[in-house]
Amino acid sequence: MSFVSPIFFAFLAITVFAFHLNTSVAYRRRVMAVANAVFIASYVNNVSELLPLLAFLLLGYAGLEAVRRRQTSSSLAAGIVVVLAVYIFLKRFTFIEPLARLPFPYLIVGLSYILFRVLQVMVDARSGSLPDRIGPLAFFRYTCNFLCFVSGPIQRYQDFATMDGLDAVRLDADRVYEAFSRIVTGYFKFVVIAAVANYFFMSFSPQLFGAAPLGPFKLSLLYGFCVAAYTAYLYFNFSGYMDIVIGIGLLLGQVLPENFNRPFTARSFLEFWQRWHMTLSEWFKLYLFNPFLMFLMTRFPAPGLTAYLGVAAFFVTFLVMGIWHGTTLVFVIYGLLMGAGASLNKLWQIACANRFGKKRYRALSQMTAYIYLARGLTFAYFAVALTCLWVPELHQFLTLSKRLGITGTGGAFVLLALSFSAAALILDSVVAWFSSRGDGLRAVSEGLVYKNMSLAIRILAMLVIASIFNAPADFVYKAF
Amino acid sequence: MKLILHQIALTTLCFGLLYGAVLGFTFLVFPDPPRVGWLDLETSDTTPYRTATKNFFLARDVLDVPDQKVLLIGASNTLVGFTQRSVQALVPCAKVSNLAIGSANITELHQLVDLVHEVQDEGARRSNTFVIGVWFGMFADTEKRWPGPDRHHGDTDLDVERYRYGFYRRTSTGPVATLPPEWLRAGALLIRPYLLVEEVTRDLTVEFRRIVLGRQPNLTEAQRETAVMSEQDKSDALAYWRLNMGSTSEISQAQVLLLQNTIDELLRSGEKVVLVDLPIPSWHRDASIYQPGYARAVENIFNHFAGRPNFQGLKMADLDEDKDYVDEVHPKPHLANVWASRLASVLTPLTCTARTATDPEAPCRSGLQLPPTDTDAAKLSAGERALPKTRNAHDGRSTNIRQADGRVPRCVR
Repeated sequence: MSFVSPIFFAFLAITVFAFHLNTSVAYRRRVMAVANAVFIASYVNNVSELLPLLAFLLLGYAGLEAVRRRQTSSSLAAGIVVVLAVYIFLKRFTFIEPLARLPFPYLIVGLSYILFRVLQVMVDARSGSLPDRIGPLAFFRYTCNFLCFVSGPIQRYQDFATMDGLDAVRLDADRVYEAFSRIVTGYFKFVVIAAVANYFFMSFSPQLFGAAPLGPFKLSLLYGFCVAAYTAYLYFNFSGYMDIVIGIGLLLGQVLPENFNRPFTARSFLEFWQRWHMTLSEWFKLYLFNPFLMFLMTRFPAPGLTAYLGVAAFFVTFLVMGIWHGTTLVFVIYGLLMGAGASLNKLWQIACANRFGKKRYRALSQMTAYIYLARGLTFAYFAVALTCLWVPELHQFLTLSKRLGITGTGGAFVLLALSFSAAALILDSVVAWFSSRGDGLRAVSEGLVYKNMSLAIRILAMLVIASIFNAPADFVYKAF
Repeated sequence: MKLILHQIALTTLCFGLLYGAVLGFTFLVFPDPPRVGWLDLETSDTTPYRTATKNFFLARDVLDVPDQKVLLIGASNTLVGFTQRSVQALVPCAKVSNLAIGSANITELHQLVDLVHEVQDEGARRSNTFVIGVWFGMFADTEKRWPGPDRHHGDTDLDVERYRYGFYRRTSTGPVATLPPEWLRAGALLIRPYLLVEEVTRDLTVEFRRIVLGRQPNLTEAQRETAVMSEQDKSDALAYWRLNMGSTSEISQAQVLLLQNTIDELLRSGEKVVLVDLPIPSWHRDASIYQPGYARAVENIFNHFAGRPNFQGLKMADLDEDKDYVDEVHPKPHLANVWASRLASVLTPLTCTARTATDPEAPCRSGLQLPPTDTDAAKLSAGERALPKTRNAHDGRSTNIRQADGRVPRCVR
């Protein structure tokens, strides 16, 4: 079910209406279970396409129950290995697909996010941090919550359980407006801004693979423009999706976790990942980085090594996080780039603190030039690394890398870093200027007419601009 | 729930007011185009619809008239080669519409015919004369012609317009109309705010598209008349068409079959069809790997329908002088006049006969101006190759349609 289809809006209206028809928790849980089932069923044409997903869910639940009953590390390890193996098989990773695959088409949308939820409950069951035994229906509502099914957010079961069928959000007129506004803003980002960025990306990126010769500067400029356009597309597409589901969640009594917190204001790669796809980073922090670092610190207890063990833990965590994004070898390269970015960032912090001392390093990092240059470098590194997401086939990736060479990639990187730094500086100054003079406007913007007319303008702009594009937009993270 | 319904009501009210205000404004900015009973897609950029496909899709209900109608369909060479005004001037007994769409393939022609039929009643259909201009470039499968990621796989330009405003919905068996055809005009009026934004966007981005995306503006008539192709241009053109045909070595037989079926359906429903084998410059004809297969296919279609009433075939292969073409496909304006006169020589007897047979008074009531045929004859003499030779579908022989005095047949009382 596409989020931009009339069917989805009808589905949404019916679900919200049915949810609010009765305040009984059991009733609301049934409504959500049915809504989840209908939503998932809308992606398939026949039942057989659902069977692998159902099998994966059953396996996950069996693993959870086994871990909960035995409470042993070996049962947890076995559960994780089996679930991961089945996931890799079902996702058709390129290295496994030639060896074995199911001989019929089936649904893989949502599988990656279900994996996170299944692993989380298994690990938490082992550590005893789950509140109660999870029943099969609660497991289904949690792993297949239609709001988080397509592209997250990755919510912990403990958080989900506090609002499962309950009124976690008390609705009043302002909260309902906030929900509507969030949904409309999300659609605007997704259908308009992301689509425009994608239009530019699609218009220019074929030239990178074309036969026409391009000079080094033009090549760098073209590549730099493409990676910037793709990054904008990815951000507005994904954050638009998040706004939509968070807004809908409010209407259904759920407070879903935020996934973005102005990521492009980050001054370092590590800070960037605390602001970008936050629920993914948090998951990896809790379930990979922390345990792995603890393991390393146990094995290598020397205090002087602790910071460097952190570097290693960052590398491994970001490597795995990168690989999770896709099924081809290019995503291993993406993982290596992410790992390198995180560990180099950590090494830089260690080196600066050693070289200048913590106080002077803090002072240095508060300087305007340092801040904007760091923001530019962070953006450029992430944007260039994202190339792996739009050139997922290895031969294409190698062709592009060969064509760009060090000069093309480096030139684009420098251009991106400098232009982003300058643009961010100008934008921040403009915003600060308006903020200092916006008191009168703020008073008007609180009015009922202004608020609702602004909503109507956003809806109209969204509908009209969306019609200019030939094909409806789709969520890019659905593919990961 | 009350709060949610209250917010829905507020949002709907504000949206309705805003939409109504913008809708009203659009009538000030671009008044409704006059409904004259014909369409000329070549002048689409002067209408609120701006593009040929949108113009056709949204304004096609004007074709629902009982008058004799000549409906020219094809690709861009039909659009510029048989201009509405030049053909209309020579075909007095019918309302001439040029419905040709750039880059069209046969699938799109078939869709075009369907969309015309959708808005016409039985009486309006029976007075249709479809002129189908074809050349090899139109025989490419849709998936290969429009493989881009900017659209749903397998959509033609017309499909894109069908779905754009929700007038159709996509189903596993193809597009299904959600807006009844009789409501098309109301639908086209309601979406005017969309058209306004599209128009503003187009106008604001003309320079951007030219400079950044390399989209060149259309050539003026004078520029087209003086255009000369270099050897590099010719080589690029051959490569372009190879790509545009889906990098195959033959034209699509499915498209050939579809053309045959389309003509067959039209003839069965009592409509008239003129199939025109459009010429291309000799260098292109001789160099293209697609031309031999195309020539065989078209010859087969001519033979297949020979003898069927209401079918006429027209070949203009002799109009192949390289210097008469702007590029590898499109005729220069002076040649377009010759094309039009050749076509008129087939259409005039076809449409006037039909018209006078059913309503002898009609031509003089119609208000259509009869062309100054003496002048036309004088103009045509400048390119005497333009003497209209048509292939008679009944006996397969070429006949000279022009009257003995050099005047094209006129509609007479």
